[in-house]
Amino acid sequence: MRAFVAMLAAGFALSGVTGAQAYHRFWANCNTDPPTFMTTMTRDAAQDYANAARYEGYQWGGGCWNYDEVDSYPDDPPQQPGTHGEGGDCSGLTFKTWRESTDTWRDGRYYWRALRNVHGPYDAAAFRDGNGAPNHVVAKATAGVMDAFASGTHIGMVFMRSLYGGDQIVEAKCEACGTNIFYRTYRGDSAYGGVGRWGWTG
Amino acid sequence: MRRPCFRSLAGGAAGIAAGVIGGVLLTSVSTAGPTPVADGPALIDATHVPPVLTVRGEPIRLRYGLVCTPRAEGLPCDGSGTVYLRAGQSGPFHPFALQRGDASKDGRYYVDVPRDIAASPEGFSYYAVLRDDATGAAVSVPSGGADAPQVSLPMYEPIAVALGRHLFGAVRAPDERVAAGAWGSEPDEIGLAGSRELGFTGPSSFDVEPDGTVDMLDSVNGRVMRWGRGRREHVPISGALELADFAAEPDGSFDVLADDTLRHLRADGTEKWAQKLAERTWAKLAHGGSVLQQPSEQWMPVSDGGAPLTRPQQRRAGHAAQLGVLVERVGEAELRVAVLRGKAPLRSWRITSDTPLGEVQTAEPHGNGIVVVTRAYTDDRDEFVVLVLGADGLVQRFSVESGSWTETAPLARFRLARGGLYRLRTTEAGAFVDRFYLEVPQ
Repeated sequence: MRAFVAMLAAGFALSGVTGAQAYHRFWANCNTDPPTFMTTMTRDAAQDYANAARYEGYQWGGGCWNYDEVDSYPDDPPQQPGTHGEGGDCSGLTFKTWRESTDTWRDGRYYWRALRNVHGPYDAAAFRDGNGAPNHVVAKATAGVMDAFASGTHIGMVFMRSLYGGDQIVEAKCEACGTNIFYRTYRGDSAYGGVGRWGWTG
Repeated sequence: MRRPCFRSLAGGAAGIAAGVIGGVLLTSVSTAGPTPVADGPALIDATHVPPVLTVRGEPIRLRYGLVCTPRAEGLPCDGSGTVYLRAGQSGPFHPFALQRGDASKDGRYYVDVPRDIAASPEGFSYYAVLRDDATGAAVSVPSGGADAPQVSLPMYEPIAVALGRHLFGAVRAPDERVAAGAWGSEPDEIGLAGSRELGFTGPSSFDVEPDGTVDMLDSVNGRVMRWGRGRREHVPISGALELADFAAEPDGSFDVLADDTLRHLRADGTEKWAQKLAERTWAKLAHGGSVLQQPSEQWMPVSDGGAPLTRPQQRRAGHAAQLGVLVERVGEAELRVAVLRGKAPLRSWRITSDTPLGEVQTAEPHGNGIVVVTRAYTDDRDEFVVLVLGADGLVQRFSVESGSWTETAPLARFRLARGGLYRLRTTEAGAFVDRFYLEVPQ
C-alpha cells in the first residue's frame, strides 16, 4: 500500500510534465486560424482592437485573449511562457494590433482574431530597432496615434497624446498590471525609441 | 538495500497508472472550464486633447477619436457626433455636427470652432457626444457633459519665453540631500523589484510635508518611509502600490492612487476608504484627493471634506485648472501656461523651444510667478528643465538629471514645497530625495 501511495503521487507529477498541462491552460481555448489578409488598416481601427484587449490580462510570450474584460488567470509567475495564461505580452499585443505577418519579410496587413494564439517574431528590442519589413523607426516628437515607444524590454502604443505632454499608452505592461491604457512619459524618456508601422490607410 | 517484492512492484505500477490517469483527467476538467468568447456590452470610448489656452487669431479645430467594439471586417467605427459649444462659460450650448475625416492620426472627427465663438474675450466652453452608429452606444467628452464642460481661454499678451536649443550635460547638482536609502528590505532600506529583462520598480512616488518631513512610497516593501525631525520611521500599508502615486495630507493621513482606485489611509496606514475613479486613466494625484483623469483631461476631486465622492459626483466637478494654473503642451516644442484669477487668465506664458519638450511634471504657483518642470528630449537624450517664471519672463532656469534606475508614477518625480523643489531619483545604489533652492519671483 505504501508503494501504491508513493507511486500515485509520482503518477500525478508525471501527468503534468509538459508545460501545457503544468498550468491552467487558457491556451486550450485558443486557435490556430490563419489571419485574414486586408487591404486597409486605419489607426482608429487599431485603437478599437487594442482597446478591446484591455483587462484581458498579460501573458509573457502570449498572444491570445477573449473579450470578457477579465483576466482569466491573473498573478502567474512572471517571465514564464509555460503558464499559458490569458493575454498578450507587450510585443505580442503590438504585433497583432499592427496586423503583421509571422514572416518578417512580409509587410502586408494580416488581421488576427483575438483568440488566435500568436505572438509574432519580434520582441520589444526588435521593434525598437525597426526590424522587419512592416516596421520602422520614427522620431519620437512626431509619434502619433498607434505609433509606439519601445525600449530594450518593453513596447507600448500611443492611444492618444495628452494635455500635459505625456501620452495615454495602450500596453500589456506586466502580470500584475495586465493590459490597459496608462498615462506614461515614454516619449521623453531616452530609454525608449519611437517606432511605427508602415502601411496605415487612414 | 532490500530487494523489492512482487507485491511492491505491482502496487507501485498501479499507483503510477492511477496517478497519471487521475492527473490527466483533472487537467482535462480544468481545461474544459471557463473562458468562452463573451458577448459583452458594446465598447465605446473617445479621445480628445482640449485647446485650453489659445493665441489670438489662431484657427481652432476640435478633434476627437472614437473607439468602439472591433468590427469583424477590421474597419474603424461607423461613428458620428455633435459638439455643443458656447461663447464664455455660461448660457446655452449650440450644437455643431462633427465632420468625419479621412485620417485618424490626431482624431478622425472634427469641428472648426466658428470665428465669433473662438474670438470671444471670455473664451468658450464645450462638450461633445460621440456615437457608434453600428451599436447605438454613445459617450460624452468630458464625461461630465454640460455640468463640467471643457474650457478654452485666450491668452492676452502672453509673456514670450524662448528657450532655444537645449544644452545637454549642463545639469545642476542638488543643494541638499534630504532622504536616502539603499536597496533592500531592512527597516532603513527601500525595496527594489523586477529584473533587467522586465525593468525595475522601486519607490513610485513621494511627498514633502509642511514641516519638511519627506515621505517616500516604498511600493515594494509595502510601506511609507518617513524622514523627519532627525529620525526615520515607516508606516506599513497594504494593497496595490506598484507605480502608484501618493500624497501626504496635512492631517497626517495619506492618499494612494493605483490602478483605477484612490485609497485614503489613516496616519497608521490602515485604510479609511477606497473609491474608484470616474474615468479610465489617471496622470497625477494632487493634495486633497484631486486627480488628473483621462480621457476628459480634467482634474476631478475624488473626495470632499474627507469623504469619497461617487463617480458621477467626480464627473460633475471636473475642471481644467489645478491650483489656479492651466497647462497645455502644444505641438512638438511649445508649452502654454496661465495663472487664473477667477475664470480668466491673470498672466500667461508662451514657452517655445528648439528642442522637443516632453511632459510637464509640475506647474505650480511660486511667489508672484510659477515654477514649471518639463522635459527636454531628443531621440536619445533627455533632461528635466526647471523654469521659474515671473511677470517679466524667465526668472531662473536650470537643468537636472532625469535618469532613473526604476520606473515611478508618471508625474511623481518632483514636488514643490517650503520654497524649494524636491526631486525623487533612483540609481543602482538606492533611492534619494534631493532639494534645489529656487529664486522667488517678485
